Amino acid sequence: MLVLAVAIVLNFALPRLAPGDPIDFLIPAEQANRVTPEQREALASAYGLDGSTGQQFVLYLKNLAKGDLGTSTRYGAPVRELLADRLPWTLLLVGTSVVLSMLIGAALGFRSAWRRGSGSDVRTLTGVMVLDSFPPFFVALLLVLVFSVQLRLLPVFGALPGSDAQGLEFALEVARRAILPIAALTLSGIGSAFLVARSAAVTELGEDYVTMAAAKGLDGAGVRRHARRNALVPVWTVGMLNVGALFGGAAPVETVFAYPGLGRLIYESVLSRDYPVLQGAFLLIAAGVIAANLIAELVYPYLDPRVRRPGAVGS
Amino acid sequence: MSRRRSPGQVLGRVGLVLLALPALAAVFAPLVARHSPQRPSGRPLLKPSLGHPLGTDDLGVDIFSQLVYGSRISLAIGLGAAVLAIVVGVLVAVLAGWRRGWVETVLMRLTDVTLAFPFLPLVLVLAAFFGRGLLVTAIVIGAVSWARPARVLWAQVLKLREYPHVQAARAMGATGSRCIVRHILTRLIPVTSAQFVRVANAAIISEAALAFLGLGDPNHASWGMMLANASSNNALLTGAWKWWMVPPGLALTVVVLGFAFTGYASEEWADPRLASPTGRLRFLGRRRRRPAPAPQTAAGAPATGPILSVKDLVVHYDRHGPAVVKGVGFDAPRERVTALVGESGSGKSTIVLALLGLLPGDPLVKGGATFEGRKLLSAAAAARVRGRKIGFVTQAAMNALNPAYTIHFQVAEAAALTMPIGEARRRAGELLENVGLPAEDHGAYPHELSGGMRQRVVIAMALANRPDLLIADEPTTGLDLVTQASILKLLGDLKDQLGLTVLLITHDVQMVLRVADELVILQDGCVVEQGSVATVAADPQQEYTRRLLNTRLSPLAVKV
Repeated sequence: MLVLAVAIVLNFALPRLAPGDPIDFLIPAEQANRVTPEQREALASAYGLDGSTGQQFVLYLKNLAKGDLGTSTRYGAPVRELLADRLPWTLLLVGTSVVLSMLIGAALGFRSAWRRGSGSDVRTLTGVMVLDSFPPFFVALLLVLVFSVQLRLLPVFGALPGSDAQGLEFALEVARRAILPIAALTLSGIGSAFLVARSAAVTELGEDYVTMAAAKGLDGAGVRRHARRNALVPVWTVGMLNVGALFGGAAPVETVFAYPGLGRLIYESVLSRDYPVLQGAFLLIAAGVIAANLIAELVYPYLDPRVRRPGAVGS
Repeated sequence: MSRRRSPGQVLGRVGLVLLALPALAAVFAPLVARHSPQRPSGRPLLKPSLGHPLGTDDLGVDIFSQLVYGSRISLAIGLGAAVLAIVVGVLVAVLAGWRRGWVETVLMRLTDVTLAFPFLPLVLVLAAFFGRGLLVTAIVIGAVSWARPARVLWAQVLKLREYPHVQAARAMGATGSRCIVRHILTRLIPVTSAQFVRVANAAIISEAALAFLGLGDPNHASWGMMLANASSNNALLTGAWKWWMVPPGLALTVVVLGFAFTGYASEEWADPRLASPTGRLRFLGRRRRRPAPAPQTAAGAPATGPILSVKDLVVHYDRHGPAVVKGVGFDAPRERVTALVGESGSGKSTIVLALLGLLPGDPLVKGGATFEGRKLLSAAAAARVRGRKIGFVTQAAMNALNPAYTIHFQVAEAAALTMPIGEARRRAGELLENVGLPAEDHGAYPHELSGGMRQRVVIAMALANRPDLLIADEPTTGLDLVTQASILKLLGDLKDQLGLTVLLITHDVQMVLRVADELVILQDGCVVEQGSVATVAADPQQEYTRRLLNTRLSPLAVKV
């Protein structure tokens, strides 16, 4: 909640703190020289920029409460509609790639932890770190190069097919266009999931209950299950953090594929100096992060009984 | 004797080499690159040639020069942002952790909020509003990245300030700032450097992303901007990607990888647990196997001789290290309590872990040991008897239960090794009742139980498969005196009830005198004296034994 409040205040304050007149941020760059003082004043009153700072803030909050995020200076459309158009595409990319990278990263990370210090552990660790060091948009460019330019297997741009395909065919086309962006985001997300899973599992293996599990006669798989069960908590936490980060962090990758998600919208708004959209997207992303945190919190009790039933005797 | 390096040490070296490349390029850029990285030096879109090793871009600027000078931008942004973030982070952490009170509340709240914001969007929005200069970019990235170091370092400060010597220094009136510098800052260095590397790494990636999105400094072509330029000039389709996209992309990767490797090494330095050689647990790798047909001692015919017999046992923690157990031999006679007694470090726990095949890492175990007349020291043999014929109550039993499962499940899981699951559930209930846990507690999780109750659960687990031998390693550590006494009583009762043989490992002489029948005194990995409690206690032959028996300072005078 506090995060959302700070995001709102920041949104209000940024154009006013930044160098220059906030009105400048509302005028599309190419028209900046042709705007008359009268027009500026009209704009100022239209956007509630003519009162005192306090009045401006109250007005800003009122509009926000009504769900009014302002109007795009580039499209002339309400910011809310623009965001609503883009959100599903980002959810598709981010949702799928976070799940995939969590599954792959955790599986590799646990496997590495069980073989801690062996050749295969060091090889996997090094390999994942190398993979993790490729900037996401570079991975995206390489994927385009291989799969679209060289092999001509997959389409490069956009999310929707040009033709008016129906039903299953439509779904297939959408999926074909989502494969590469999802692959790029997944590949760049595996690293953090891997490192967390590995170090969490290594930590758990040092716990006494692991020795005890072996001492009471469980075989390797049984002992691993004990450690894995507890190592899942940090993996889940980082996974949900990644959801928040990817919400807008997918911008460079979405840009490479001209994918109409939130990140791409931010990119376009930056280029065209469309500040109302930028602010709206920022607010939406903050809300997305909060939602991800909330989901994380809701699941904790199922992962860790100490959260589910607190207030215990002993340490 | 060559000590194996940990992965971190190797990766750290590789990382430094990787970082040296761009660092050298940055320092000697004017010598390496002949053309200006900003002004055109040829026709646009030239292919690579001797004059222009990587060709020219759409304005005729030499790409190789851009690549070389780009290292300056990446490193400057990375290091600049990291210095800023670390300075702020350390200040916040020390101030919050040292002053406590409302200062801490406010600062940590601020840190949490900053942390909660998604990194790249925040940087994007800030950069969009505050302009595109290099300095601005570094400040924006630094201003967003201080929170994580602050949080990590704050936790570290809290830990450090509770250290005895810091508390002592404070109690003796050391002034705050001297205390902070002497005891806190110097010890924060490993963790700080790990965080520094992290921030630098993230800053370089962010700068590249910003530049790629068109928010870079237009006067300085950074690697991200080169990629964006190439991309918008359709380098992918014209084939120019080979010299226009791959070099800056790889350069970014090399720098990021260099930082990632050194970061991994510095994290090992900050948290030595990550590097400790207690790496592999051999009992993890084994395939699931059917419980071997129990090697029955011919039913009816009473088995004779000691149940466990150890001869000349030598244990090294790893093949190159010194011996920790140096030729130990003893017998555990049937239905008696044999106590292995010695100070911490005398090797008594190691002996037991070696017998059960539970030593971590790659230990070297020599000598002989038989259980019921069968050899014990191979991994397979230990796995056969573990939990089935030999029950083990681990040291520090407070943490011997998995926090994620109910106690009933954990006992039943053990019992299920030798019986169908339904029967195992029933048996788990009985066992828990037997060790004194009422039925309403059986669905409890370990954290809901007191230390004494947890210890009882561990004992129930060890007894799940009706073992012939129960090994208890310091079963009363960490319990209060009354609970210690009741756990001892429980062990004694169970022994009589079930006809158990018990091997008790302890440093507590009082405990030994009350429950043990046979005594094995260990010092520094060797047996110094053994015999029945009566003989040894009455007439100790060794000075060490005498001293050990005389440590009657232990206040465990509670009689049960």
